[in-house]
Amino acid sequence: MRFRDRLAIRVDTFIQLTLNGLTLGSVYALIALGYSLVYGILKLLNFAHGDVFMVGTFIGFGALRLLGGSSSPVVPVWLLLTLMTLAAMGGCALLGVGIERFAYRPLRDAPRIAPLISALGVSFFIAYSMQLMFGADLKNYDTFSMDNGALYFKGFNIGSVRVDLIRIITIGAAFVMMILLWLLVTRTRLGKAMRATSHDREAAAMMGIDIDKVIVFAFVLGSALAGAAGVLFALRIPTYATIGFLIGLKGFTAAVIGGIGSIPGALAGGLVLGFAESYTQGYVSTRWSDLFVFLILILFLLFRPQGLLGKADIRKV
Amino acid sequence: MGGYDDELTRPLEGALEASTSEGATSPAVGRDEWVARHGDNRARRGGPLGTLEERLRVVPWWAWLTLFVTAASLVPVFSDSGYVRRVAFDIAIYMLLALGLNVVVGWGGLLDLGYVAFYGIGAYAYALLSSDHYGVHLPSLVSIPLVVVIGAIVGFLVGLPSRRLTGDYLAIVTLFFLQLFLTVTTNGDDIFGHNVTGGADGILRLDPLNLFGHNLPVSSGGGIFNVAYLYVVLAAFVVVFVALRFVNLSRTGRAWRSLREDPLAAEVMGMPVNWLKLMSFSFGAAIAALSGTFVSALNASVFPLSFSFPLLITIYTMVILGGAGSQAGVVIGAILIGTLLEVLRDPGNSRVLFYAVIVLGLLAALRLSLRLAVVLGGLFVFGLVVHVVAGSIDHGWVNGSGGSGGQVADFMARWVVVPSAPAGWISPVSYITLVVMALILTLLRGWVRLVVLVPVLYLAAFVWENVMLAHPEPTRYIILGVLLISLMILRPSGLLGEKRVEII
Amino acid sequence: MKRRGGMVLASAVTVAAALASTAGASSTAAAQTQGISCGSTLKVAMVAPFTGGAGFLGNQQLSWAKYAVKTLAPKLGLKVSLVTGDTPVEQGPAIAQTLAQKFVSDKSVVAVIGPSTSGAVAASSQTYFAAGMSHISESATRTDLTKGATREGTPAFFRVVPGDYIQGPTDARFMISKGAKNVVLFDFQEPYSQGLSDAAAAVLKAKGVTVTRLSVSNTTTDYSSFVTKVPSDADFVFFPTQKPGDAQNFAQQLIEQGKKAKVFGGDGSNDPTQFKVPGSYVSNFAPDISGITTDKAIIAGWKNANPGQSLGSFGPPTYLAVQVALQAIKYACVAGHGQLKNRAAVWANVKKVKIPVSILGGPFRFSTKSNDPLNATFYIFQIQSDGSYKLVS
Repeated sequence: MRFRDRLAIRVDTFIQLTLNGLTLGSVYALIALGYSLVYGILKLLNFAHGDVFMVGTFIGFGALRLLGGSSSPVVPVWLLLTLMTLAAMGGCALLGVGIERFAYRPLRDAPRIAPLISALGVSFFIAYSMQLMFGADLKNYDTFSMDNGALYFKGFNIGSVRVDLIRIITIGAAFVMMILLWLLVTRTRLGKAMRATSHDREAAAMMGIDIDKVIVFAFVLGSALAGAAGVLFALRIPTYATIGFLIGLKGFTAAVIGGIGSIPGALAGGLVLGFAESYTQGYVSTRWSDLFVFLILILFLLFRPQGLLGKADIRKV
Repeated sequence: MGGYDDELTRPLEGALEASTSEGATSPAVGRDEWVARHGDNRARRGGPLGTLEERLRVVPWWAWLTLFVTAASLVPVFSDSGYVRRVAFDIAIYMLLALGLNVVVGWGGLLDLGYVAFYGIGAYAYALLSSDHYGVHLPSLVSIPLVVVIGAIVGFLVGLPSRRLTGDYLAIVTLFFLQLFLTVTTNGDDIFGHNVTGGADGILRLDPLNLFGHNLPVSSGGGIFNVAYLYVVLAAFVVVFVALRFVNLSRTGRAWRSLREDPLAAEVMGMPVNWLKLMSFSFGAAIAALSGTFVSALNASVFPLSFSFPLLITIYTMVILGGAGSQAGVVIGAILIGTLLEVLRDPGNSRVLFYAVIVLGLLAALRLSLRLAVVLGGLFVFGLVVHVVAGSIDHGWVNGSGGSGGQVADFMARWVVVPSAPAGWISPVSYITLVVMALILTLLRGWVRLVVLVPVLYLAAFVWENVMLAHPEPTRYIILGVLLISLMILRPSGLLGEKRVEII
Repeated sequence: MKRRGGMVLASAVTVAAALASTAGASSTAAAQTQGISCGSTLKVAMVAPFTGGAGFLGNQQLSWAKYAVKTLAPKLGLKVSLVTGDTPVEQGPAIAQTLAQKFVSDKSVVAVIGPSTSGAVAASSQTYFAAGMSHISESATRTDLTKGATREGTPAFFRVVPGDYIQGPTDARFMISKGAKNVVLFDFQEPYSQGLSDAAAAVLKAKGVTVTRLSVSNTTTDYSSFVTKVPSDADFVFFPTQKPGDAQNFAQQLIEQGKKAKVFGGDGSNDPTQFKVPGSYVSNFAPDISGITTDKAIIAGWKNANPGQSLGSFGPPTYLAVQVALQAIKYACVAGHGQLKNRAAVWANVKKVKIPVSILGGPFRFSTKSNDPLNATFYIFQIQSDGSYKLVS
């Protein structure tokens, strides 16, 4: 092959891999935001968050089936996707509230190990409950059949790489939601209350902020985002009942890399992780890509635990 | 971070806790929890049970250990089924693993989510040292101690990050270590061209245990499990139990306890905090590696998928149920959970177990009282009524039956509604309804709670018969998950554990 | 603190003793010296994944096994009941060993159908062999179970379907016959796919086809980057997954990224409800039996017993395996004059079984050189535009 052709292939590959990383990274960023919100206020690692994401994928699947399925839906495709996303966000928000109320609230004043272990139990419970009810096989949204594959074939081109509609939707929706969240946290009163509570819970309580409401709100937001991430993810990739564990782990990785407790950090972390996965799979080795990702995380945790954009924490005696 | 402000409310909480869970005669306001616990000053449980407990408390621990091990050794005498003996072996391994995890979580106070990786490392190390894979065939009396040392070293290395990381982050690092282990072993058949770990196929044809020059065959005639392996593990269990007991009573044990109570104060008092944490990691890892060797030898094979996250959760449930920090406790936890999991494998037994648990649970919650009679009677009548009504609407609604299960199933088939051809939506709808109603039940009080309890229990029986029995796999994990959550909320110290365990 | 454990320890001891004694009582023990009467109910165990990711496979096989036992046993004058053991693939092969121990300890189990997965066979074959228990698998196709210097299956292991040493090269030869010059072979870091890809790669390379090997973790579902690595001039992507949904997803992503390669799935991707991208191929060890005239009665009977379910392709080999097992039991009973001495007697008769017209079409008998079927072939299907599978080889 001529040099120019080889170079063209290389550039195309790079663009495609970058696009893959961006698509996946947006989803990771949404999940990472959920972790960050909860950890910022409760200092609790919500292990069950990945499974809330998984429930989002299933709710989207259920909504899809209710609305007629992907090849012949009863509403136009754009409305179909919006309804699925809203259903997932609502359902997951409800689930998040339930988890907080029944599994974490009783343990709010217990030693730190208690809610952590409870979270492990919740994660297990949700994942295997879904498997019990819906089986362990893969659930495919069959997005390909929607509008005769329009989601895959429409779009614009960068070079000879097609950026199809489905990726535009995924990345676009994720960014829009993150911007909305940013506005919510910085501009509204509830957002301010959240920031105050995460800074110093007791002081906030003394200033008259209803801590319970703030915590519930954090869970609602985080879980809704996870639900939306679920639908966006499952549009392209089949889902199964135990996917929550691994994806949750990756989401948490993204949160830590970006700096847990920081919203732009979650975005940065998500993108970094998405790119890392994509490039190692593409360029280094398909076998060991997981290993590289884990090593990156361990290195971050050891040498820069505050992540890229977080602040180092000083423990007060 | 929650250490000192808890101090203000803890004596009150402790008093309340003591009065509700220990059944003390009167709440004691302002009694110091620490003194009460360490001085073993507790109000005696009333009645003959309390007297019995007092009498039994006099017996020294080693007497109990001897009695227990003797009873365990007699299992093969009571049953000549290779299967039962094999299950006894599995449970003995669980006991060892639980002891090891107890050192890390219960004594060291560190949340180690990668514990199963050490188990796997022990198994794989044995496989590499005693098989045809590399042609190395070390006798067991050499390879087993070697594997234990390897386990301790790896545990030490993995524990090194604990110096800089607090509890949550340490948990995540150890979890990632487990993932790393799984990735390496699954892909290990092509590390720069060398087949190191056999990949997903695992390593096969491992040597059996070779003690004092004698090969212990894995099966004794006809593929039946060789009971000698059970005895080897029991012997190892005794050694580990006694050794750990002495460590706990030594200075290291006392240092661990004070570290757990208040890490900052311990550090300020000049204790080698890092060293202590590393020690607990090391010990736990060594014990896990030891268990790995026995399992490898018996199975004559090792596969990466055996060391998964669900196994980790299982061992954690054993430790939490038994009581983190108490050796006897985690052993009991291991036995209970191990037996439970094995029983759940068979639908007939699971059915019996479910109803037994319901009855025992009601007994424990309501004691022998009028309320118990009312609930049980109401449940029975409610069930019959629903069954008759459902049957008269459509005979197909009550026609199906589990198939297996013998007499109990036949009797229950008259009580529980088991449709012969359930529609697809029955399963998710009934399950979710059950979960929601059970959660609502926790919010109710008084007689309302009892009234709602009856239909909820009936619904639970329905879900069990129709949905969960058909899927033993997810059911067992659901039960473990629920156990963990309820334990942490209702009784975090488990059966025999210390009242609170703080993580560093 | 530790002493309070005494009372609970005591109760635990009594519980343990009680459990042991009741468990001991429940293990059936026919008198060892006399053997089992052929008039009593004999048990055949079935080991397959009934739950978990491959649960659809195990349940398909179970429905056919039950049907076979129900219809064939009375014709042979036997009373047989089927007992099951679940080997979910997520738990790895180790669980097959505990199940093997369970069935070996039960004297009334005289034969085993399965294990369905190759890993489970490798893990438990030694135990069955030591107990003289023949185990006949309907879907464990890994080559080194019956072939090679270090074979993992013991002489007590049989299978009624050809191994991957046939499937891999068959698939490779088909691809070559379609003019393939550049093929990408995937494996999922587990035994089944690795064996298949290895076998196919060998044949392809020998014929001068450019071969690229890609290895993916079993838990991945996002194949975007792997799709990117597929060369744009590749003709085929060999994708031997055991999850048909993955094959579907992968094929779609190939189209999304504009690659012209066609997906070629192994027998694990065989599920028209999940894998239906037109133009792709699947290979399977069984033809579509609805096209075989001699099977009409069997199919009708099965459909009667399992209303609303599709035939599936993993079921019919299970029927065949049960048929072989029952036939072997019958021979052993006749030779023992109505008494079955032990399960080794059944084992000795398995290889003698010859079925003139088997459910898979044509005669069935075991090869003399190994415990594999004689002259078995793999069949290749192409997915049509309406999603149906059409036999093309």
